[in-house]
Amino acid sequence: MKHRLAGGLLERGFHLVVGALTVAAIVPPAFGGVQCKVPSELTRIEDRLPHLNERLRAGGPVKIVAIGGASTTGAAAGSPELAYPHRLQEVLGRWYPNIPVTVVNKGVPRQTAQQMLERFPSDVIAEDPVLVIWETGTTDAVRGVEIEDLAAALQSGIDELKTRSIDIMLIDMQFSRSTVTVIDFERYLNTLHRVGDVNDVYVFPRFEMMRYWSEQNVFNFDGVSKEERASLAASVYECIGRKLAEAIRAAIE
Amino acid sequence: MPSQPRDLRLDFFRGVALIFIFIDHIPENVASYFTLQAVQFFDAAEVFIFISGYTAALVYGRTLAVQGATYATAQALRRAWQLYVAHIFLFVMFIAEVSYIATTFKNPMYNDEMRVADFLDEPHMAIVQALLLQFQPTFLDILPLYILLLAVFPVMLIGLRFHPVMVLVLSLLLYVIVQVTNISVPAYPEGHVWYFNPFAWQFLFAAGAALGLGTLRARWLRPGGVLTAMALGIAGAGLVVKLSWTIHGIWDPFPGLFLKELWPVNKNNLSPIRLAPFFATVVLAAALVSPSAGFLGAPVAKPVILCGQQSLEVFCLGILLSALGHFALTEYDSSIGIQLAVNAAGIFALCMTAKMIDWYKTMGRVAPTVPVPGPGKGISPR
Repeated sequence: MKHRLAGGLLERGFHLVVGALTVAAIVPPAFGGVQCKVPSELTRIEDRLPHLNERLRAGGPVKIVAIGGASTTGAAAGSPELAYPHRLQEVLGRWYPNIPVTVVNKGVPRQTAQQMLERFPSDVIAEDPVLVIWETGTTDAVRGVEIEDLAAALQSGIDELKTRSIDIMLIDMQFSRSTVTVIDFERYLNTLHRVGDVNDVYVFPRFEMMRYWSEQNVFNFDGVSKEERASLAASVYECIGRKLAEAIRAAIE
Repeated sequence: MPSQPRDLRLDFFRGVALIFIFIDHIPENVASYFTLQAVQFFDAAEVFIFISGYTAALVYGRTLAVQGATYATAQALRRAWQLYVAHIFLFVMFIAEVSYIATTFKNPMYNDEMRVADFLDEPHMAIVQALLLQFQPTFLDILPLYILLLAVFPVMLIGLRFHPVMVLVLSLLLYVIVQVTNISVPAYPEGHVWYFNPFAWQFLFAAGAALGLGTLRARWLRPGGVLTAMALGIAGAGLVVKLSWTIHGIWDPFPGLFLKELWPVNKNNLSPIRLAPFFATVVLAAALVSPSAGFLGAPVAKPVILCGQQSLEVFCLGILLSALGHFALTEYDSSIGIQLAVNAAGIFALCMTAKMIDWYKTMGRVAPTVPVPGPGKGISPR
């Protein structure tokens, strides 16, 4: 009895996935040939970016630093122009044509939040940005860093930027079905989001977005052929940049 | 064997803890909102280690009294060896999973993530470190603690038998030193530490063992006492605060009480914020649930009790099933219906396995009642 029930549910799940595939295939691409749609609950934003807002109202210039790991460098796409920080700069540049916007890429692979924090004086503060986007947590999860240490590093970084009147946004990890089976992301995701929560800092839900794209088969991260890898990465980074720009716009409205 | 009947509360609560461990080890599982960790600062790990200490003292304490220290030591070490073999088995399964994924999944978008397979570059180190219990991949971290605790248990047991207060004070002292100095046990790869810090968690095991051995008779554990009232206060406060965090996590406008002040609560070193409500809950459970409580005889409690009695097998199977369940949820569909089905299937498998092992052991214990045919009575062995 129990077995049949489980089988039926599994089968229904399979039909749901197939149905979603069909829908995804017939919906026309929404942006630059790339389908970046996500459910509205993933784009809800309650935290504000007051300093960025002020700078935009004053007519700029706006400098944003993106500090993070390998997915910030964008090496997988083949060129820094295809990484999400540059994509973000392009979109913001289109939306605010009269304001000079630069997004500086400070991605360095394989660093924990603590190691990135140690780069803050040279890579972040020295750039004098008005907004910092901190993409972090992946290496912490991979290495099994203690939750308390990750939380402490994030807290120090947020405090440092807040005392300097710099706005901050966090970006959580990337999703793929293969990596989540061997890496315990959940505790680290929760930590990132909880630190954001207690500090009123927005955490960009990249993990959930990429999971949605994977489930809807907008992007297939797991079965991609060698030739398609760079273009897949470029498309994903383009979507991330676009969604980040939308989040930033929502946070200053 | 002494005539004292088995305390089914221990088996029941350990069975519940094992089922919770299975549920909690499936990431983003809706059922985990209904386990201990959703409503208390501690989780099933504390229950498991405490009851394991308690039952170890019951079992090996009896051997110590009847057959002497040498045989009790041998028994405890044999159990530690069983756990060690089980751990290595689980480790091999983990290696199989990671190496398979690392070699088939070569997407450069995930270069940082793929560092998780770095140990495959030096298998000679990784395997030696695993044999030394120094390499503890995700979710394979509680057995090394249990193995180590059982390996040193003979010393702890003999100490508790003759100087219970001194042993407990030393154990508490070590726990306090960890809280103050933050010392930890290094692990592999470099920079890692033992997830469950044995210097801290030994106190829970020792406390369980002291109570199990009965050298410290808990006369004050009676309902209505001051201690029970205090326990009710501490456990109640823990419940209210942790539940508010859980609700806040699901529905943001609900306030998380003292979230800023108390979070994160350290599990590695068994923070006092986890330990205090745990002991409070133990006091409450001991005071409110009598060994002859009616529900322990109910048909629904039976499979849970069996799980608690076959804890090693059920624990190991639970770890495997959580990995399998997680795989099913990420690979196919993670809708709530499927999640519940995965949980139900896993718990069913755990209970059936416990029942099967119990049956096997019972059959092994029962002496054959049918007389063996003697010579000249029909069938000849030749």
